[in-house]
Amino acid sequence: MRIRSVIVLLPIALLAPVACERARYVDTGSPEGVITVGNVDMQDILKASSGMLESLAETGVLKTAKNKPAQLVMGEIVNDTSSRFDVGEMTYRMREQLVNTGQAAVVTTFGNTPEDKQAQEVLRREKFLKGETSEPLPDPDFSLTGKITQVKRSAGDTKQVTYTFRLTLTNLRSGLEVWTKTVDMTKLGNKNAVGF
Amino acid sequence: MICTTTVTTTKSSAHRALRATTVATFITATIAVAGCGSVNTTYTRTTPADSAISAQTRVNDLFQQFFLTAKEVRMNRTKGGPMEVQIDVENNGFAYKTFSYRFDWVDTAGNVIPSQLSVWKVTNVPSGGSTVIRAIAPSDDASDFRLQLRQSES
Repeated sequence: MRIRSVIVLLPIALLAPVACERARYVDTGSPEGVITVGNVDMQDILKASSGMLESLAETGVLKTAKNKPAQLVMGEIVNDTSSRFDVGEMTYRMREQLVNTGQAAVVTTFGNTPEDKQAQEVLRREKFLKGETSEPLPDPDFSLTGKITQVKRSAGDTKQVTYTFRLTLTNLRSGLEVWTKTVDMTKLGNKNAVGF
Repeated sequence: MICTTTVTTTKSSAHRALRATTVATFITATIAVAGCGSVNTTYTRTTPADSAISAQTRVNDLFQQFFLTAKEVRMNRTKGGPMEVQIDVENNGFAYKTFSYRFDWVDTAGNVIPSQLSVWKVTNVPSGGSTVIRAIAPSDDASDFRLQLRQSES
């Protein structure tokens, strides 16, 4: 009878702490957050954007622009991983830092696929009404492009994934690459976990 | 009597053998723990770097402080203008250590500069090894930093 009670109660006692994991707020990107092996997590995105911004600040490449602050066009950044996430999670954080601190100005009215079509239309209309040269069109210094890739390997049940974030800054006047940066993140394990 | 002596002797031999086995097991376990994943580090510099500065640490986790120590803190201005900090972290423990850290930068008035660069990053140090954690200030106005270090329980 006693043994039977232990057999019944033991799994309940073991599962009790798991059931008590109540929802709570954690800092975004905090190591306390969920860590997955097969996906890009918020921590990875924040680390990537921080690494890119540090490198941009460290090299001072934006200070070499003709315009002050440097005018930047956001090019295509391809997510070539099996993890579905919006690349804007990284780029908008970078833009926030660069634009709000006055290090760069992002041109949202450039090219055939502008980010802000309405602003581009207004600009064209103003230019047409005031004459060809009266309203200067944006004259960007740099364009930012990139790619996010993954390398997956496994040994038995253990999986290893390396996510590589790479960005390139091209000088639009010379067509040359003036800055490039790679940020790697390698995760190893066989199941997702809550961080520490 | 003889029998008792024999028994005593036998007991004593068994006790000695047990003690020897225990000591051998302890030494083997110590070597195994110390040797497993630990690294040997060679370096030539014996004095602090020219850019080394003194730093103050408020310790809330003595265990963490004992095994993970910041050996040297260096600050330099980068080519681009903002400050760079480099900290040598040593793992004096017997186990592989995983820890996360975050730098917050402050201006000359002592106010924290909010930025997208202040994020938690995770790194590992093998037993007996060291790593350099570094950060770049978000702007030229940043003159000092605060570092938070948090160790994994595993």
